[in-house]
Amino acid sequence: MSITGGSKDIFDAIFRSKPGLTGVLILTIIIGLSIIALVYVPFDISSKWNDITFWQFNPRLAPPSWINFFLSKKLPETIIIGEKDFAKYDYYVETAGLKHIVLEAKLDYLYEYYPSEVNAILYVNNSNGMLVTLKWIQPNGVEIYLSRLVVNDGINPIYFCTRKDVKEGLLNTMAKLGTVPPDTIKPEVLLFSDLNPSGGFNILRGTYRFKIEAETTSRNATIDSKLIVYGRVYGLAGTDSKRRDLFVGIVWGAPVALAFGLIAAILTSFIQTLLGTLSAWYGGLVDEIIQRVTDIYMIIPFLPILITISVIYKINIWTLLAIVVALSIFGGATKTARSMALQVMNEQYIEAAVSYGASRKRIMLLHILPRLLPYTVANIVLSVPSYVFLEAALSLLGLGDPAMPTWGKIISDAFEGGAVVHGLWWWVLIPSTLIIMTAIAFAFIGLALDKVVNPRLRER
Amino acid sequence: MRGATSILRYLAKRITLLFGTLIIATYITIVIANAGGYIDEILSAQIKYDITTNLARTQGWAQLPEEEKTRIINERFESAIKAKGLDKPFIERSFYYLIDALTLNLGRAIFITSASGSKRVADIILERLPITVLLFTTGTVLYSIIGLLVGVYMTKKPGGLFDKIFSIFAIVTEVIPPWFFGILFIMVFSYYLGLTPFGGIASVPPPQDPLGYFLDILYHASLPLFTWVFSLFGAWAYIARNLMVQIAEEDFVITAKAKGLPEGIVMRRHILRPSLPPIVTSISLSLITSWQGAIITETVFNWPGLGSLYSQAISALDAPVIIGLAVVYAYLLVVTVLVLDLTYSLMDPRIRGVA
Repeated sequence: MSITGGSKDIFDAIFRSKPGLTGVLILTIIIGLSIIALVYVPFDISSKWNDITFWQFNPRLAPPSWINFFLSKKLPETIIIGEKDFAKYDYYVETAGLKHIVLEAKLDYLYEYYPSEVNAILYVNNSNGMLVTLKWIQPNGVEIYLSRLVVNDGINPIYFCTRKDVKEGLLNTMAKLGTVPPDTIKPEVLLFSDLNPSGGFNILRGTYRFKIEAETTSRNATIDSKLIVYGRVYGLAGTDSKRRDLFVGIVWGAPVALAFGLIAAILTSFIQTLLGTLSAWYGGLVDEIIQRVTDIYMIIPFLPILITISVIYKINIWTLLAIVVALSIFGGATKTARSMALQVMNEQYIEAAVSYGASRKRIMLLHILPRLLPYTVANIVLSVPSYVFLEAALSLLGLGDPAMPTWGKIISDAFEGGAVVHGLWWWVLIPSTLIIMTAIAFAFIGLALDKVVNPRLRER
Repeated sequence: MRGATSILRYLAKRITLLFGTLIIATYITIVIANAGGYIDEILSAQIKYDITTNLARTQGWAQLPEEEKTRIINERFESAIKAKGLDKPFIERSFYYLIDALTLNLGRAIFITSASGSKRVADIILERLPITVLLFTTGTVLYSIIGLLVGVYMTKKPGGLFDKIFSIFAIVTEVIPPWFFGILFIMVFSYYLGLTPFGGIASVPPPQDPLGYFLDILYHASLPLFTWVFSLFGAWAYIARNLMVQIAEEDFVITAKAKGLPEGIVMRRHILRPSLPPIVTSISLSLITSWQGAIITETVFNWPGLGSLYSQAISALDAPVIIGLAVVYAYLLVVTVLVLDLTYSLMDPRIRGVA
């Protein structure tokens, strides 16, 4: 094996070969993605990712919006009617000591599929209890009496799909119209269906009205509302079972994955190469010790020890990184670097350096180590994916950093959330595609570099 | 005779190293675990349990007043701790623990029970071990054979179309671990195509007749096996191919070809044979990684071996089982390397001493 060297060779090898160029291209796209992460999601992700209220206006388990592009009948997007979209008027009846507030919102529903959920949120202020009546008026004028309830100061979420009184309201309306109710009452379906006996529960498209009538004894009381008609598609990458926007998780996973993989790969490769060179150059006892320790390190059960540490100390992702590096300071590269350094040592220019009296340290650092650079670079590039997947594997075992949305964490959430067995493809395939693309990018660059490191493998 | 002694000398050297590795790996686990005080806790719980169960069997125990019972238990507990040397400083204790661990005296699990109903960590782990070894040894033998065959085929025409396609396949599958393919394959083969079960080792309830039971296990093992082979044979073929391409350039191969020997014989005798020892060395390294990869792969396929036990123990925070598993893994890796060393020493003429 002859050892060619120099950073120019590395550069040439990557950019003059098809796989190398492909790898660089893919990597550029992924780095672009991590820059988008910082622009698109400027907030502190680790504090928001597990905050359920932050994601509450997203549909649950929705595939990405772009699938509508391939469908003839479009799936609905989420429609949010905010506080400002409600028409509002109030009056105070002095004699009765009662304040009346009426809120009304209009909603155009033109999709051919039903929404996945319907919720309203009532924000009540300054009230010692407020009696609220909720009404739903369909485009054909059918009025459904949804609920009459007492709400208190603060935020009151109303989940139409699970409320008993909403179901009763629907049944009463059907009884009034003389319609035989269907076997299962799904409020999110019936609210948007033609309930007339001749209607056949078909979807009714048009303008719906949602009306809130409130009564309270406190004069200064106010009420605001938000109506959320959850769609069936969301964003660029869909949502998970906790309604989180997977696109946010995936773009944030990119810098985390790359940083984790690169730092681990660079540190371990450099340390291993340095130790291998030391072993060859100083020889004797140093060589013996380094080689025996390497032999032992290579057989030690790395993952079980890592698991034991993570279970007992509950570490975050950067401590994990430090431990991974500490567990890999000796390894395969120590052996290869040693054998390469032994070859370089026999070359004439080293002999020349020795003869003009260069110190041993100087020769090693300035004359031997640079020659091992291409090998080290190839080693770094090829080991990045294994560290990215290592983080994912630990996440799958439940040992990842719970705060950070890494690719591994998303995939393991998907796996545990039953995405694989229920065919929730976007939850698995989108993060998987990214992790695979990253791995392949590094593998291709590594393949290109392999030809600098092992010239005998060059295709003839 | 000279051959035998040099094999023995080589093996003695390797066994010393491997045994040293086993001790160091176990000792590291103990030090790590006990920094959280886990091992002390496990041992005292074990001692307390033994004392209480023994006393409960003695006559008249039930009639004793409650304070008397606690007094006796505490007294015996204290003397047992002294007798076992658990009141000594950690450095000294750690060596007792080391001997316990190496003799697989791993204490009692907190939550997990073995299928036979035992709470001993050693029972729980040893019950699972054959299930893991069965699946992954089969898988490894399969991918080694397929990989070697593909490697030989690639060597026939280096730089040809087959060689190029497989090199790319190899390098792509090399960087993606088997468990990751597992997740994707379950989705494709189990969910979309409905060809294979989603996981586990047997149907519930399992078939009664032995043949049906065997076929049922085979049916459940098919996807994990396929995944294992698919993910690993490429890299393996690539390693073999690279070694053989290098050897194919050696003078003796060119001579053999020039002599007009048939290509098959040149391949078998002059190329394949000398490349086998380094191939065995690299398989032993890749086996170490793949044994550990088995942990996650089993979790994905819900295969009830050591890996699933790991994820079970992690979610239940059953520290004795986790520590016990690390020890058993150290044994598993060391034994694997030893077996391969043995094969290597029989295969390599330089070690056999037949020059």
